[in-house]
Amino acid sequence: MFGRREGDHAGTNPAGRNPAGGTGEALRLDSVSKVYGAGGNRVNALDGVSLSLPTGSFTAVMGPSGSGKSTLLQCAAGLDRPTGGRVFVDGAELAGENEAALTRFRRQRIGFVFQQFNLMPTLTVMQNVTLPLKLAGQKADKDKARAVLERVGLGDRLRHLPSELSGGQQQRVAIARALVTEPKVLFGDEPTGALDTRSAREVLALLQEAVHAYGRTVVMVTHDPVAASCAGAVLFLADGRLVGQLVAPTAEAVAERMTHLADEVERQRATAGV
Amino acid sequence: MLRLSLSSLRRRRGAFAASFLAMFLGATILMAFASLLDTAEGTSGTAKSTLTTMALVVGGWGLVLVVFAVTSTLTLSVRQRGAELALLKSVGATPAQLGRMIVGETGGLAVVAALLAVPAALLAGRGLLGMLHASGQVPDEIGYAFGPVALTMGLGITFASATGAALITARRATRVRVTESLMAAAVEPGGLSRKRIVGAVLFLALALNLGVVTATMMRGAGTDAMATSGQADIFAAIGLALLAPLIIRLATGVLAGPLRRLGGVAGELAVTNLRRRTGQMASVLTPIILFTGTGVGTLYLQDIENASMSAAGLAKTAEQKDIETLNFVVIGMIVVFTAIMLVNTLVTATTHRRREFGQQRLAGATPGQVLGTVALESAVLAATGVVCGAVAALFTVLPFSIARSGTAVPDGGPGIFVAVAALAVVLTGVTALGTARRTVRTPAVAAVGV
Repeated sequence: MFGRREGDHAGTNPAGRNPAGGTGEALRLDSVSKVYGAGGNRVNALDGVSLSLPTGSFTAVMGPSGSGKSTLLQCAAGLDRPTGGRVFVDGAELAGENEAALTRFRRQRIGFVFQQFNLMPTLTVMQNVTLPLKLAGQKADKDKARAVLERVGLGDRLRHLPSELSGGQQQRVAIARALVTEPKVLFGDEPTGALDTRSAREVLALLQEAVHAYGRTVVMVTHDPVAASCAGAVLFLADGRLVGQLVAPTAEAVAERMTHLADEVERQRATAGV
Repeated sequence: MLRLSLSSLRRRRGAFAASFLAMFLGATILMAFASLLDTAEGTSGTAKSTLTTMALVVGGWGLVLVVFAVTSTLTLSVRQRGAELALLKSVGATPAQLGRMIVGETGGLAVVAALLAVPAALLAGRGLLGMLHASGQVPDEIGYAFGPVALTMGLGITFASATGAALITARRATRVRVTESLMAAAVEPGGLSRKRIVGAVLFLALALNLGVVTATMMRGAGTDAMATSGQADIFAAIGLALLAPLIIRLATGVLAGPLRRLGGVAGELAVTNLRRRTGQMASVLTPIILFTGTGVGTLYLQDIENASMSAAGLAKTAEQKDIETLNFVVIGMIVVFTAIMLVNTLVTATTHRRREFGQQRLAGATPGQVLGTVALESAVLAATGVVCGAVAALFTVLPFSIARSGTAVPDGGPGIFVAVAALAVVLTGVTALGTARRTVRTPAVAAVGV
């Protein structure tokens, strides 16, 4: 129900990794860098990050505060412009001469879920979900929107305003809104960060389902090892650089790795002779 | 708390700019006209009565306007700082302490504004007397004086009205409880309170009464009919402004269909915003109604008067000239103050929507689509305000025309109305779009961040 081609992938891919002969690359970053400030205040938020994520994968990005994980997400999702390097979504280069062009690129290929939900406060649940379709100049397909909302368990809340819903329910509306345009890649920036344990688990289950049952590609920034363990792979980021990855992670392994991340970075630096 | 007031003033110059401007202009006008009383000292006859009447009439109106404009600008700057006030409450500030802080800020601002207004008032007063000399309303040998009356009245009234406005604002702001004010008021209730309805009925009845009296009892009374009809438009405009939430709902109901059909998704978002944020929209509509209503009403009033005087082949007496000057000064003041209010309200309201604009863009709206929504909302508000203002002006224009010339419709033509309406529309559109454009320049992700 999340997309039209769901049958192709359903149930074939429990680890969330690309099956052999899969449909290819959903997201590629070529030595992407982002520098904030100038002169003595220069901060390398991203320092030449390259990665490639196959279609139908579920990837978590982890790192200590200030490691650049939100910057990575924003550059990959076309919300911020990298200082150097290139970003490809579904084979198309993310480049726009202005904000309007970037917006059109995003709404064709990318969906977002944020920690703070970011639903429009004046619109009902139904209006929020159909908004991206209308903004893109498409017909607001109410049946499709209703189907997606039923899928996330909110079929009976269509006429409610966001302020009348719990945090978990608002986040499920946000997921429905992100999926209704059938985006190639769904980005989550701490999507469970503002939720209680139970709501967080529901939200993660929905993201997993989007990947496993409907073949979406999900990239999620998180600081929660339990949330990260729901992904097929975890990428670790420190000081703007990718410093490791963990395939088929468990929460314990992720937590263990995070604990020693700082030491690991120190060691890598020492061997690199910097 | 006083130290907090001062540091808050230093750090937030922008937020206080509009209040400051209202106080400064108010003090300048008050002092300039009050100096006519100093000038009148030692004169006698018509010159004395001309100078005294002018000072008192304009002074009275000035007082009302300063309180009104300062209250409205202060309320906005305080509401803008809702989170800061809530924070202060949560660390233990009592409502009384917050009240003292707000009054302290305003008092400090008023002192500076009034002192800076002294030289400006000196120049303005001198120019005013020059105008009265030139028109022969005051003989040339009466020299200009700026003395104790101007200073005490100007400084006193500015300070008293600003403090009064601050007390009203503080009372409103501090009545809210901590949790309430920490919560983002996502959807505000825009209902008509009983107070608003009673006030509206009262003001409209007053306006209607003045209109009927003008059209019947003042028929053939000549210039004196101005005394009863001159204020009808102001009262009617205030009455309609009090009904602003209801008017917005009606206008949205009428315009929803065409907006959706012609405006696409921007039209649809504009309709929802008008429906769900009635209170905010009403605060923008109020100055548009006041601006158009008083502007159109008073200008036609003088136009009809001039036309009938020249039709009768009469020259104006000194008193009639005084009235003309007063009309233009008072209307000028009202127009300037409502324009400040309009711009201030729009800038604050639009800047306040930064997060909402960011959310809209994250949902896939281009900056152009966001601006399109704002443009449509402003168009609805400007059109509604201009229509209401025109209705308010009729309370003055029709009765006075009947009283003065026997026919309800003045000969002047639609020129004045078109000019005032165009000014209102341009002011609304340029301010709203200019502010929105600046607001949209922030990257969407930064705009939604707390």
